[in-house]
Amino acid sequence: MEHIRLPKVEKVRLINKISSRRASVGTLYLTATHTIFVENETEIRTETWVLHSLVCSVEKQATTTTGTPLLVHCKNYQALRFIIPQERDCHDVHVSLLRLSRPERYEELYCFSFHANSDKEVRGQAWDFLSLKAEYSRLGVPNHLWNLSPVNRDYKVSDTYPAELYVPKSATHPVIVGSSKFRSRGRFPTLSYYCKENDAAICRSSQPLSGFSARCLEDEQMLEAIVRSNPRSDFMYVVDTRPKLNAMANRAAGKGYENEDNYSNIKFQFIGIENIHVMRNSLQKMLEVSEAWSPSMSEFLEGLESSGWLKHIKAVLDAGIFIAKAVAEDGVSVLVHCSDGWDRTAQVCSVASVLLDPYYRTLKGLMVLIERDWVSFGHKFSHRYNHLDGDPKEVSPVIDQFLECVWQLSEQFPCAFEYNERFLITIHNHIYSCQYGNFIGNNQKERTELRLQEKTHSLWTYLWENRTDHINPLYRPDHSQTRGVLRPVTAPYCFKFWRALYNRFDRGMHPRQSVIDYLMAVREETQQLEEQLVSHEEKISMLEKEQGKSIQAKMNTLDRSHAVWASPPSESCLGLANTPGDYSGLGGFLTSSPCQQTGPESSLLILPGPGERGKPSDPDLSTNSDDQESGIADLSSPPSEDSAKDPDEAAYSAA
Amino acid sequence: RSDRSTHAAKPPFAMSSDNVAISAEFSPELRVLRDSNKEEPQLLPKESVQDMAKDVTYICPYIGALRGTLTVTNYRLFFKCMDRVSFVLDLPLGVVSRVEKIGGASSRGEVSYGLVCKDIRNLRFAHKQMEDSLIKSIFEILMKFAFPVSNGLTIFAFEYGQVYPENGWKVYDAQAEYKRQGLPNESWRITKVNDHYELCDTYPSTLVVPVNIPDEELKRVAAFRAKGRIPVLSWIHPESQATVIRCSQPMVGVNGKRSKDDEKYLQTIMDANAQSHKLFIFDARPSVNAAANKMKGGGYESEDAYQNAELVFLDIHNIHVMRESLRKLKEVVYPNIEESHWFSNLESTHWLEHIKLILAGALRIADKVESGKTSVVVHCSDGWDRTAQLTSLAMLMLDGHYRTIRGFQVLLEKEWLSFGHRFQLRIGHGDKNHTDADRSPVFLQFIDCVWQMIRQFPAAFEFNEYFLITILDHLYSCLFGTFMCNSEQQRVKEELPKKTVSLWAYINSQLEEFTNPLYVNYSNHVLFPVVSMRHLELWVGYYIRWNPRMRPQEPVHQRYKELLAKRAELQKRVEELQREVTNRSAASSSERAGSPTRSITPVQTFV
Repeated sequence: MEHIRLPKVEKVRLINKISSRRASVGTLYLTATHTIFVENETEIRTETWVLHSLVCSVEKQATTTTGTPLLVHCKNYQALRFIIPQERDCHDVHVSLLRLSRPERYEELYCFSFHANSDKEVRGQAWDFLSLKAEYSRLGVPNHLWNLSPVNRDYKVSDTYPAELYVPKSATHPVIVGSSKFRSRGRFPTLSYYCKENDAAICRSSQPLSGFSARCLEDEQMLEAIVRSNPRSDFMYVVDTRPKLNAMANRAAGKGYENEDNYSNIKFQFIGIENIHVMRNSLQKMLEVSEAWSPSMSEFLEGLESSGWLKHIKAVLDAGIFIAKAVAEDGVSVLVHCSDGWDRTAQVCSVASVLLDPYYRTLKGLMVLIERDWVSFGHKFSHRYNHLDGDPKEVSPVIDQFLECVWQLSEQFPCAFEYNERFLITIHNHIYSCQYGNFIGNNQKERTELRLQEKTHSLWTYLWENRTDHINPLYRPDHSQTRGVLRPVTAPYCFKFWRALYNRFDRGMHPRQSVIDYLMAVREETQQLEEQLVSHEEKISMLEKEQGKSIQAKMNTLDRSHAVWASPPSESCLGLANTPGDYSGLGGFLTSSPCQQTGPESSLLILPGPGERGKPSDPDLSTNSDDQESGIADLSSPPSEDSAKDPDEAAYSAA
Repeated sequence: RSDRSTHAAKPPFAMSSDNVAISAEFSPELRVLRDSNKEEPQLLPKESVQDMAKDVTYICPYIGALRGTLTVTNYRLFFKCMDRVSFVLDLPLGVVSRVEKIGGASSRGEVSYGLVCKDIRNLRFAHKQMEDSLIKSIFEILMKFAFPVSNGLTIFAFEYGQVYPENGWKVYDAQAEYKRQGLPNESWRITKVNDHYELCDTYPSTLVVPVNIPDEELKRVAAFRAKGRIPVLSWIHPESQATVIRCSQPMVGVNGKRSKDDEKYLQTIMDANAQSHKLFIFDARPSVNAAANKMKGGGYESEDAYQNAELVFLDIHNIHVMRESLRKLKEVVYPNIEESHWFSNLESTHWLEHIKLILAGALRIADKVESGKTSVVVHCSDGWDRTAQLTSLAMLMLDGHYRTIRGFQVLLEKEWLSFGHRFQLRIGHGDKNHTDADRSPVFLQFIDCVWQMIRQFPAAFEFNEYFLITILDHLYSCLFGTFMCNSEQQRVKEELPKKTVSLWAYINSQLEEFTNPLYVNYSNHVLFPVVSMRHLELWVGYYIRWNPRMRPQEPVHQRYKELLAKRAELQKRVEELQREVTNRSAASSSERAGSPTRSITPVQTFV
């Protein structure tokens, strides 16, 4: 509170970056956690809330006749321009916001004040929603090849590693400790993903301290142990995700990469993903293109290309593909590292996991994956995403690139992911927002010390509770392509600009109709229908009971319609009678067409839905009438209100 | 349950790709793929094998050299690989733009032939040299049948005698279409002046003109418009009475000639719309080109001569620029795409830039008519290329009827075919003169623009992407009569409706294939697409469809259908149970079971 110089300014104009012609007048409030703009004019109260922790830059511009503009850019790509009538007020807001958006201590972060008074027990349970132990046991470890090692229990061997690590059974304590001493930050090779079908594993570490010629017997034994823990293969890949030049430069600093001659049975490979500084600059360049109000064809395409962003995304995905192929097709284990093993390594391991294992393409699976490969393995969230006022050179969109890889994959495999792009965008938002405790701090040790589980909420439970918003209506878990390993195409035209994220707040820029909205409405309606079905069934069985009691008395007064329904539904013919008949029109159509084959598409239509219950109706009455009904509806009746609403408005809105 | 992934694993190369790939197998010329055991294609009615050669090598840019049998008929080229099981190449000869012999005989005695195709691909074959020079090589036979017009043969469309349930030539009836628009009315009449194509030989016989302009005056207006293409009504707004008028450029010339009749005529057009006291004239050309046309006697309306008219140039380039742009695009996308400079290479073709200008122009026209309630006059030079693009796209935005499958057919028949877009010249059906400067992808650009709109309004169009691709495939195939000739007059003279089959007969016989499952009838809505760069994309499903890497990963289309079918199914069941509940509770004493749940009308049904 002490940082707020001016809690309220009136007659402020807010200009949305894109539709810059329209400005709304209102009052600007500064609170401890948010900047809030309340519009005056409109009948409905319109509020714009901006979380301080999401603000990435505040810029005061030169005063004009109408006032002093204050430009606020956010980490979630929202951009706002306030015009404040008095320069002095603007100055005060500017200074306040600068301080508020750059907290100096963890304790100042929003997560510590967000719903701080809620029930401790409930909060604690919420944190138990995801368990890494359960995840490793889902993967099939520990087993006869892999052990849970207590070596880092007190974060003594590596303070950036988690307490619980899985290592090859044959790796002894001295080997692990020896190997850790030969690796940057003590980050020795340890298990990230294990493929129980063929025993191939993805391991991760930091670079070896090999310099120009140094060797370490324990480290060599450690790698040998990893090779041995995959009995079906006699070698392993060591993947250095850096460009070769960078790795060689590291040798001069006493670091470097594995020499194939010193390690038995390894195949060494450079992948060539650029470092965090290159990525930061690339994103900056791409954002300049995405922020342009009306770029010409060449400005947009050339800007996008010269930013190199999509090329970097491709590099990360290509690395993931290399590893997934080694594990799934060749059954070979892979050790992945970069320099410290917490940025590119996390990207590549998690992308490979998404490609390999359909579980990570489900809501809960992606949460667990981020929890394992990013949070637990010490990806420096607070540094990379600038949670505290710190070194700007530490900031880089590393996990952003992972999320974008997943998005690019979901564009290519639209039915393979349980979650939709909103899920990815929400995660992206909260990585920066500091609203939840999940991403605070830089490693597990820090997080334990901050007692985040006691003091903050977990994003995962929030997302799980709101999962209906995040489900991809196209998801089809039973599809053959969904089940197996994903084999994406990485030709350049397969990488698209992620408009929904980078132009998230430029509403004028989104398509007028969204298929996903439409399908989600359809899905919701389907669910409602299923509920209705159940309730009708209950009602009917209730009525049946009642009727059973009183039926004798009424038998004489039966009307015609009752006679039709009189035979009680027998369980044996559930869900059969009315399906083929309903589509008899289709059959007729197809036979009359010059082409005889019906093909799989139409045959699918005849299949009853999987969750089908319900009672077959009397075929004579219902199939005929329904057939006609739907036929007429097709031509004349207006769309149902629910599903039409969204696209409807969109179709009207002017360009 | 059939899983389509098995199909995706080995696609027949000759077929269209994207989500609807499998549908391609239903098209008449591709049905042969079902019987891929045979070396020969399954022939269409009146199709006959002209030559066959074994041991021909097809040099596929993606999988390398394939050895097999090549068959040439009077309609198609059919190549079947002998050593690999599933490879078939089947293309209508109409697609071939040029056949060239590449180099001399190789050491193995083989000669190479390159086929440049109109649908963004090139094919290359190698075949042993004929020892006896008197025997014609199969490629000479191919050339003969690929270019029937140049060789004094008839185009296959005139022989193809397939009977379809519907006569596609009846899809468009000008009178009926104008009647649908509410014409004639108190301001507009249908004139017979062009009944025998005497006023203008490139215009249709049925024209809509202002009521108080007699036919005699129309003739004087025609004298002042290039090729006699006078301003006539294409579309009228059902409420505001604002109209879309099309014509050719005025014959102003270097001396700035004026025509009182033309000026009065446009004034009458403006007056016919009581809502606005202004008239917008959209000249599709860049202003420089329009001015340059004065040297050739053409030009544009000066605002001095035409009071209350505002002239807007839309900066769309001419057919030569467009042809060059597509040539560059083909270089960039076929056969392989250079990894490193994809975006800048794409940019250098300017293809998307042209698409953007056309869409932006149509958007301005639609906006003036809808929001400004103002009538618009659209022309370019002759009024049959850019004008057709603009009016048809604007009408697609303004009128939901044209967004149905049949409505779209009417739109094409009306704005493109009847108003004399010169398909024969622009495509060069059966003509070997591939360098002809009259060829240009004007119609392709229009379809591309429609695709861009479909992407932005996925529920507003009754047809799907496959419908557009099918139209483009048959634009070149020469199987149907639809895109033959240059004008209505020529079509009547050639008796096309009698001698050929219309593409619409084929399409309307299997509408299921071309229907968009997400379609919701927005007939009263006007669509204003976004034309910013971020929203325009290269139509990968068309331009890059030959690349096997382009193969769709998953059949989204089918998933849509499943989701919607499931809902329809549930709706039906709920309604049934609803009825049962009502019946039962009616039967079961006075106690009525609450209020009935609202009945749900299906948004889309597939039966």
